[in-house]
Amino acid sequence: MSRPLQLTLAILKPDITANPSVLKNVWTRILENGLYFVSSKHMHLSSDEAEEFYAEHRGKFFQNRLVNFMSSGPVWCHILCGDDVIGRWRRMLGPTKVLKTVYDEPESIRGSYGLTDTRNCAHGSDSDATAKREVGFFFPEFDFEKWYKEEHQLFQRDLVEFDPHLLQHIAMPDIHP
Amino acid sequence: MATPRYLATYSPRACKKCNDIHTTSAPVAQLRSFFTGACQANWKQNYAKREAKKKVIHEYVGENAERTTIVYAWGAADSGALGIASYLRPNLKDVKRQFVISKINRPARVRFYDKQNFKALKIACGHGFTVSSVNFQSKKFLLGCGINTDSQIGHHEAPKGSGRIMDQLIEPGRIRLPLRKPDNCDVVSMACGRAHTVVVVEDEGVFSLGNNAYGQCGRSIVEKEDYSKNPTINRLTDLPDDVIKVVCGQDHTLFLTRSGQVYSCGLGADGQTGSGHYKPVDHPVQVKGDIDGERIISIGSKADCSVAVSDKGDVFGWGNSEYGQLGMVTDQTQISTAVHLPTPQCGRVIKAVAGGSLCALLNDNGQVFVWGYGILGKGPKLESTVQPSLIPEPIFGHNELNTDTKVVDIDCGLTFLAAINDQGDVYTWGKNSRGCLGLGEDKNQFFPWRVALPAQAVDLSCGTDHMATICKSYT
Repeated sequence: MSRPLQLTLAILKPDITANPSVLKNVWTRILENGLYFVSSKHMHLSSDEAEEFYAEHRGKFFQNRLVNFMSSGPVWCHILCGDDVIGRWRRMLGPTKVLKTVYDEPESIRGSYGLTDTRNCAHGSDSDATAKREVGFFFPEFDFEKWYKEEHQLFQRDLVEFDPHLLQHIAMPDIHP
Repeated sequence: MATPRYLATYSPRACKKCNDIHTTSAPVAQLRSFFTGACQANWKQNYAKREAKKKVIHEYVGENAERTTIVYAWGAADSGALGIASYLRPNLKDVKRQFVISKINRPARVRFYDKQNFKALKIACGHGFTVSSVNFQSKKFLLGCGINTDSQIGHHEAPKGSGRIMDQLIEPGRIRLPLRKPDNCDVVSMACGRAHTVVVVEDEGVFSLGNNAYGQCGRSIVEKEDYSKNPTINRLTDLPDDVIKVVCGQDHTLFLTRSGQVYSCGLGADGQTGSGHYKPVDHPVQVKGDIDGERIISIGSKADCSVAVSDKGDVFGWGNSEYGQLGMVTDQTQISTAVHLPTPQCGRVIKAVAGGSLCALLNDNGQVFVWGYGILGKGPKLESTVQPSLIPEPIFGHNELNTDTKVVDIDCGLTFLAAINDQGDVYTWGKNSRGCLGLGEDKNQFFPWRVALPAQAVDLSCGTDHMATICKSYT
């Protein structure tokens, strides 16, 4: 039996949410890399919400501009799932400093579509604990235990189908077990 | 007896040139005439004809012919920013146009302007959109194309009355500013940021469209405002009347008045507004610091660092300095007031530009100096310097034969630079994100290289991943 699938939170920041063609490319990359969309949401953060989300960076010099940027427009939030998805999603994104990443890892998402260090395309959780906290922040209705009990098996056996309108994979119970 | 068919094909025929049957075996003569275009017997006549042709001088262009204006654009095309609709709307009947073209790495002529008979006057590129001002039969319009998800190129409803608001335009559409004379939109200066556009119109004032999350449009910030499908166009009233130039960073705006003062509004998280603090500024304020009392002639900003040049040739900078853009005077990563950048080796500076991690300046001798981090154009490696260093002039066409050739204008994107010399040649170098250098390749360019433009460039604008030029045809 393979190890259980991980969950992570991915936020597509306002710079690429505003750009339909880039948005489509990023979603295509996620699907091509074999990650699953468990849930998706299109939302607009207020500056208070953004500040609460980035509470861990409080006191750092870039916290102000991060909060400002996240509340500057609508964002896409996704719960992604897959084997070692936290590491894989962060590797797909590339390093945070876009102006260096464009030379070091030009094929990554940030290297291809990032603008500057603040406007760096997307966010990914860095550990299981943060993923749980961040998913709870954006998807308060999402129940981890219930998902692991009911749908995890189906995702693990690839019994899911992608719905491009809902932008999420829907678990299809196995009718021929 | 009838001649057999195969013989008829080889029967001797009269020569086309001299109407005579030659004695050479017929197939050979035919072949030879096929390859040379004439039979060998009258080579003298042909020689005389060729010589006569050389003496005729064809004059294709009349004395009163006008040089036409052509717009070329290159870079990322899938946002629609190039204004070439056929790239995104494939024609299944045309073999060459069956696929969507998402990027183009060579200059592509924007035929929209030719078809509509528009004469482009000014052009500005932002993040995935382009704004241009055009002249059409003594009327002047403002056009925009590309991404419109923040209403940065106006409110476009198609078909009219349907309530279907376009969030992307793949061909230029007219931006209707609230002017007293709507048909005379005489643009003094315009600039585009990440998701906003600012236009200065002669005798009418300064207008701003698009995202105002940081106050970059110069109006009060409304929390959680929905900018898509938002018809708001703001006329800035807090500014002096004599604004002659506007420059947009990604999320802030700088204004230059005729008297040489600099005003700013928008995102201030890196101090790029120069207002002495790091908060967003929603109504334009004057930039503070060493710049006080100086008469500024040029301002530049593309990302989070801002630079200005005074009439004495002094350079000032403020904002982000994470990559050593302001490293010659400070080690801090952010500065919120303008500081004087000593550039004694650069002579009298006339223009400065600042990209994401690199800066460049131009002096009155046409020399280009670069500093910062990235591909600066000095050799095949990434560089990080805090002192401006000269890019050798011969690269820009200055040599023993063209001793007068010099660079007259420079511009920058986030990670690439561009220059125009007085011959109208465009040179680009830097990170080649999605073909934005226009050099026909997708590789990074480590020193300035001439773009193969078939016309003389007059105006140039760099966006984040595309570029547009207004050119004049050579004849």
